[in-house]
Amino acid sequence: MNDRGGRLLNRYFLYLVLLNMFVNVIIFVPKILIEYRYEGAVMGVVIAVPIGMALTYLYSTAMNQFPEQGLPEIVEQGKHRKLTILFFGTIQFMWFTAGLITLIGFIDILSRFVNPEMPKLGLLGIYLAGIFLIIQLPTQRIMYFLEIVLLINIPLISLIIFKAFINEYLSWDSILEVGTHIFTRPSLKAVAAATYCFSGYMNLIIFNRLIRGKLKIWNFTAILFLGLFNLFTTFLIPIGFHGSDGAQEYLYPWISTSDSLRLVYSPIERAIFLFLMFYMSITLVSVSVHWHVAYELIKGMFKGKISKKKNGLILGYFTVLAVLGVIYFNSLLLNRLTVYWMIFRLGVEIVIVAGFVLWARRRTT
Amino acid sequence: MRLTSKWKLSFNIFLTFMLLSGCGFKDIDKRFFVVSIGVDLAKNSSKKYLVSLKFAVPKTTRESPAEYQIVSEEANSISEAVRIIKTKVDKEIDFSHTKVILLGEELVKRRGNAGVNYWFVRRRDVQSIAWIAVGKPSALAVLKVKPTSEYFPSNALFLALGKDGSETPYVISEFMYDFKFRAIERGIDPVLPIIKAKKDFLEINTVGLFNKSKMLLELQPEETKMLNFFLNREEKSSLWGKKGQTNMIVNTEKVKSKYKIYTPKGKRPYIQFDVSVDGVLEETTKRIANKQLSKYEKVIGKQFSKEALRVLRKIQKAGLDPVGFGLRYRSRHFNDNDWKEWQRIYPTIDFKVHTKVQISDTGLIE
Amino acid sequence: MPSNKVIAIRESLKSKLQPSEDLVFKEKFTKEKYLEVLYIKTISDEVVLHENVVKPFFETDSPEDFLNYLQSHAQIKAYENEQKAIDDVLRGEAVLFYQDHVFLFDCKVDRNNAVLDTTVETTIQGPQSGFSESLPVNLGLIRHRYPHTSLMVESTEVGRLSKTKVMILHDSKFADPVTVKRIKKFLGEVNIDMLETGEQLFDSLKKSNRALFPLMLVTERPDRVAVNLSNGKVIILVQGSPYAVILPTVMKDLMSSMEDIYQSYWIAKFLQLLRYTAFNVSMILPGLYVAISSYNPEVFRVQLALSIAGSRTGIPYPSFVEVLLMLFMMELLIEASIRLPKAIGPTATTVGGLILGQAAAEAGLASNIMTVIVSFVAISNFVIPINAFSFTIRVLKYFILLLSTLFGLVGVVLGFFMIIAYMVKLDSFGEAFLSALQSKPGKQ
Repeated sequence: MNDRGGRLLNRYFLYLVLLNMFVNVIIFVPKILIEYRYEGAVMGVVIAVPIGMALTYLYSTAMNQFPEQGLPEIVEQGKHRKLTILFFGTIQFMWFTAGLITLIGFIDILSRFVNPEMPKLGLLGIYLAGIFLIIQLPTQRIMYFLEIVLLINIPLISLIIFKAFINEYLSWDSILEVGTHIFTRPSLKAVAAATYCFSGYMNLIIFNRLIRGKLKIWNFTAILFLGLFNLFTTFLIPIGFHGSDGAQEYLYPWISTSDSLRLVYSPIERAIFLFLMFYMSITLVSVSVHWHVAYELIKGMFKGKISKKKNGLILGYFTVLAVLGVIYFNSLLLNRLTVYWMIFRLGVEIVIVAGFVLWARRRTT
Repeated sequence: MRLTSKWKLSFNIFLTFMLLSGCGFKDIDKRFFVVSIGVDLAKNSSKKYLVSLKFAVPKTTRESPAEYQIVSEEANSISEAVRIIKTKVDKEIDFSHTKVILLGEELVKRRGNAGVNYWFVRRRDVQSIAWIAVGKPSALAVLKVKPTSEYFPSNALFLALGKDGSETPYVISEFMYDFKFRAIERGIDPVLPIIKAKKDFLEINTVGLFNKSKMLLELQPEETKMLNFFLNREEKSSLWGKKGQTNMIVNTEKVKSKYKIYTPKGKRPYIQFDVSVDGVLEETTKRIANKQLSKYEKVIGKQFSKEALRVLRKIQKAGLDPVGFGLRYRSRHFNDNDWKEWQRIYPTIDFKVHTKVQISDTGLIE
Repeated sequence: MPSNKVIAIRESLKSKLQPSEDLVFKEKFTKEKYLEVLYIKTISDEVVLHENVVKPFFETDSPEDFLNYLQSHAQIKAYENEQKAIDDVLRGEAVLFYQDHVFLFDCKVDRNNAVLDTTVETTIQGPQSGFSESLPVNLGLIRHRYPHTSLMVESTEVGRLSKTKVMILHDSKFADPVTVKRIKKFLGEVNIDMLETGEQLFDSLKKSNRALFPLMLVTERPDRVAVNLSNGKVIILVQGSPYAVILPTVMKDLMSSMEDIYQSYWIAKFLQLLRYTAFNVSMILPGLYVAISSYNPEVFRVQLALSIAGSRTGIPYPSFVEVLLMLFMMELLIEASIRLPKAIGPTATTVGGLILGQAAAEAGLASNIMTVIVSFVAISNFVIPINAFSFTIRVLKYFILLLSTLFGLVGVVLGFFMIIAYMVKLDSFGEAFLSALQSKPGKQ
């Protein structure tokens, strides 16, 4: 049981990382990378891989010392109650904004490509209904849900990526042309955006509750290869379709790329609809995972079980900010803001990982 | 009491949903699908363009013939034209099934139509995988042609350009996104097929070559076939060769072309083309013994190389680059001014073509 | 008086057979003789036993004569070893302890004629008989298929007024004791006046008493019960109902037919795939039609879009009304054909399905494509092997239809995943409803 459990649950760790890799398309990672393609994005990606892997490795092995415990359970016995509350109150905002940017970004995409005449608040409404249903589930159940969503969707996304790679209109020369700019000094923005692909490990702060066995080396190897492949696809496939000079003109490079794929024998000829349907569910589960972490961190600020009223207040806080976000951020502003958010996030991640690793070492020795 | 308030809340939420949503609900029979768009220059008018939309009229039974309606309008921009056309039709205009965009011959020969090209890309409901082509003598004339085999409007165009139907090397079809890619990317130029309107059929066997803003050169059918081989788009084709008194025709099954740009120090730079052709002997005027086959292969290869060289030089002379030599050069050089270098090199570059023909079969007889 | 050896055998048998409700141990005396009988009354025929053993016992005077009688009786054989004796007792034989001899008397009861044929969960191959409406017979049927000492049978009463007798069965070797305890606790707390059949417990499973998903499997097949017992499930039998309840139930149980183990591997896999496809089709298709035809016609190919537009021409109301109307008609047809006498049922379906559908399209009330979709939905709904679950899907499609009417394609996709999230939330006595690591019939 132990061995089987270990192997089984390490799969969960992979899912969390994979989820972030998928969702980077919504959160403007390709857009940022393509924008800086001549100004250091290639080198940025190359640098981001070791940074992302190092952070993943350090953080998850440190977390691994507390099997089946999330951060709220780990610090529960701690003495500095007030400090904990302050800490949780601050960092939950990182997860909340991560989910929020994804949500606003995707609602913008939906209102552009799928429901152009529907008010964005309507789309937000149905998304919030789904998200609130999911984030209140126990952590274990959210993982089940994530697993099912990935299981349903991975064939779909593999088909689309496969179709993109074998497309005769994919210009490898354009991809190589961008590759020739590898020796340009890396830009911080590109590094920050590229590391987002790896930052799914941060969700372990809560989801460590499910990680029973030791994380094995193949987990990290898999993440390394998936990350490389993901960054390559995210960054360079749109360039192969829309050109090294032209790709940056698109607001959502990947959505436009999926619109460039024609499925000759499928009943749905335009791959963009398969792609959007895939992202409808991926966005739902990704925002849910991020907000579940935020939700659990806020819950960790209170002692014991929280009352129905407090639960309502937390959800109300999520709702109000989401509604404001959808009203005030158009996609251009959101895009610009996300660039700075990415840099900020990278900084916070490094601080959290460094702090946690040091703290965990002191506690265990 | 508690229960009623809970119900009230849910009811209110439901009501809000009803108010917020439901917009955009428009039944499929209230939409008028545009299957193809034609843009021409306006004649005898102060306006700039003549925009024609070809609408498909849905068939109510399976037996009824394919019907369509073409509405044209002169305006200074496409969006203006569409707005005026909206007032002329009874249903909502829906561009989501627009699969062919035709640009009039006159229009593409004039400089500076970026606004037209970009309108299609910017609109979310026009597919990126719509085909784009040049209409000759005008886009409207092509739209008006109704081949008898058509069972819904513009289907003949879809089949010809989509290669679901006939597969021929004389058609180089082009998607809108790829056209835009070529129109922007430095080092590769757009190519559009030219569709000629005949009485009740359409003829597609030539292409027009563009620089970044207008059509400069029109290739002949045989040259189009050559360009197709350079682009590696279509492999099923036929080659023709002559040795002494014997004419022969080879049906190709596989045509692969590769090229490499050489810039030796102090010498003239050249592009080495390697083409390999795999085919079946289809027709000869005389019996050819299997032993002599290799001789004939060489003859066809030589003839092919000669023809290829002529087409490449013709394109080079026009200063165009549909194959993407410039892009290849850029992608193999790490310096930042590679594009400037290439612009200097290209007009003087030399071509070398080597063709390897292999006839794998002579059909059922020798 | 019995010798020590016989006493030892008797005690060992009694302890091995575990105190089941239907286990009978009787002692009979006359002046000279002393006889003990051990049997399970639900599967042994007491009349036969009385005629062949008890009556002669009282009629014969000398102990030797009775011993001779026993030894010569055709249906009585000598005791060989303990395991065989237990097996025979579980198949309906009685153990006789007389003097220092032990005999086995074959008084099995043959109840095959008493049971009903399966009508709801029919299979092409495999056993064709179901349960009867009598509790002891049903228990007997299960015992026939599951002759093991570890089968535990307990009984309780449920229903404030009806005081219906309910039996709880499980295999103590396989069942999880925590789950068994939970189920017993649940049965003790059921708040219901009249319990007539196991299906009534559906609603009691949820705190709110309003359940949409069947979190228990109700079956009419003894073979399914036996297979599930070997998978560690708990069975509830209710007096007067020809259905057994299997707990805990996960989605995979609801989607499995007994055919899965009676068919060869790949065929069973294919059938399962078919069922899951049907599940999705019948849930999503009506909503998808509305979403695509009224919000995003660009999803179709142009040919299909034009032919749908053509067939909808002249229909005086929006697509969702059209779908609702046709679905309503279909639901009426289904309900009607359940109520109608068996002889008329098929006729009504044919008349309704074929003629009404055709006529509705002809009259311009619904498009041809809509008629195809509705029949597709109805047919795929019946592919679901467990009836209770197919009813759930019948309701769920309206949820998706509502969301698709309001939100288009987004509504369909999110509605589908919301239903999945809800199913993930559910659990049946501690086992997650969508658990991937669940028992399969026929596999341990």
